[in-house]
Amino acid sequence: MNMDKTRKDFPVLNKIIYLDSACMSLKPIQVIEKINEYYKDYPGCGGRGVHSISKKVDEECLNARKQIQKLLNIKNEEQIVFTKNTTEALNLVYNSLKFKKVITTDKEHNSNLVPVLRLKKEKGIKHDIIFGNKDNTFNLEEFQDKIKDTQLVSMVHTSNLDGTTIPAKEIIKIAHENNSLVMLDGAQSAPHKEIDLKKMDVDLFACSGHKMLGPTGIGMLYGKEEVLEKLDPFILGGETVTNSTYESYTLEKIPNRFEAGLQHYAGIIGLGEACNYLRKVGMENITNQEIKVNKIIDDGLRNIDGINIIGPSDVRLRPGITSFTYKNKDVHQIALLLDHSKKIMMRSGQHCVHSWFNNHNLKGSVRASLYLYNNEDDAHKLVDGLKDVIKVIG
Amino acid sequence: MICVIAMIVFGILGIFSVKYRTIAKESFECVFKRITLRPCTTGLDERLKGQITGKLMKKSPKVAAFTYKHFEVFSWFFLILLIGSLIYSGISAYNLIVYENCHGPGSDEVCVFNPETYANEGNCECTSDTDCTCPEGTCTCLDGQCVS
Repeated sequence: MNMDKTRKDFPVLNKIIYLDSACMSLKPIQVIEKINEYYKDYPGCGGRGVHSISKKVDEECLNARKQIQKLLNIKNEEQIVFTKNTTEALNLVYNSLKFKKVITTDKEHNSNLVPVLRLKKEKGIKHDIIFGNKDNTFNLEEFQDKIKDTQLVSMVHTSNLDGTTIPAKEIIKIAHENNSLVMLDGAQSAPHKEIDLKKMDVDLFACSGHKMLGPTGIGMLYGKEEVLEKLDPFILGGETVTNSTYESYTLEKIPNRFEAGLQHYAGIIGLGEACNYLRKVGMENITNQEIKVNKIIDDGLRNIDGINIIGPSDVRLRPGITSFTYKNKDVHQIALLLDHSKKIMMRSGQHCVHSWFNNHNLKGSVRASLYLYNNEDDAHKLVDGLKDVIKVIG
Repeated sequence: MICVIAMIVFGILGIFSVKYRTIAKESFECVFKRITLRPCTTGLDERLKGQITGKLMKKSPKVAAFTYKHFEVFSWFFLILLIGSLIYSGISAYNLIVYENCHGPGSDEVCVFNPETYANEGNCECTSDTDCTCPEGTCTCLDGQCVS
């Protein structure tokens, strides 16, 4: 992987050290140019018109679907439903699928916990939680004990809190043996590791464009065809029906029936280009680069007295993320001081996983989240910067 | 206490610019919570503390550490200074309106608020430490500068 060449595609890196990719990835100039191309050259409606600009939009959107299909190894591009982001994709399922019991992990992002809590309150569904092992890894034995009578297993694939990935293959196998569907929140896994949805045999998979070099406001839901057919769309409108009378309507085929109204075409096209970029770099190269940089951060932080790293000690189990606390110091102060003194951008707080932090009596953590554009120099600067900050806050 | 300073400063700036109004509102919320004996939950005080100390870290880590440790004391000190200067400014403005001189009745001291103070500035020259030549009116020498 040619780091110098890669970093040149992200001009903002000349000014800052960016370690908040779990929240929002930077966009390479190729993606930005592709988005601009839509607005400059063919800013029309897709799926409706017969004129050449409209047809060009259709062609580019189809191309984007194919890029996503290749990146995630999806059988058919029609299994991709465009959404606003992962949150919307998960909510689409929760509002469209009928089930009585769901299992989640103890580290769910609010986007995969709050909809469940609402369904529990309003429709009386059962909700079981699999609590992690001491090092925050997945407890497969507990899962086996709780799977009975579950219709949906909905879990965060890679945690945005500590970067650990659940053993999806084993979970899916056990769930399918118990006639349960599996939905994975892939917001943090799809951008950072090789995903083969066909091989994985997962039923539903959601991810966001903005975390994988794509623009904001675009995400997707993948589903097995037979599962998507079962879902009852909860937003209806233009392009979701083939015909309507004053009394009835006929639903479109998948995925159109889930994509109501005018779509975020620039976003879709930008996401396609982002997937193309990721494929060119190679997902394995990305994971390896993240592990290499994260190892330097991990080693450096472990030498600082008072630092507590959340999650397993082996960085290969949490390639792109190091989440930590320092004594009982305010995590926001650490992030602010790193920003204003060293121009290091990091996330602090509870990272939308309030439930886990509340359960562990922690106010939050500081999180360094890496991506393909982070190099060893970034890691050393973080460790040195943190040492300087600690001298100030004591 | 930094929120009180922020509320006053950004409140004044907010009269002229929309971009400061949000911070002024946030600091008001913070002050309101503090005076009703609740913790400030907006995080503005912590943000200001982090920003100020972070900038100081670039110049002098030792000064930054000292400021960080005694931030509340500094905040109180600057708040007292701010309130003091606001009171004196208010008195001066009152004097200027009522007596046309910010030092009160009968004073012939220079008033910085009075536009006439600067009327002849630049047109007159100091001939000694105390004397000036002016094209019109009277003027005096103040720290080597001619003021009317």
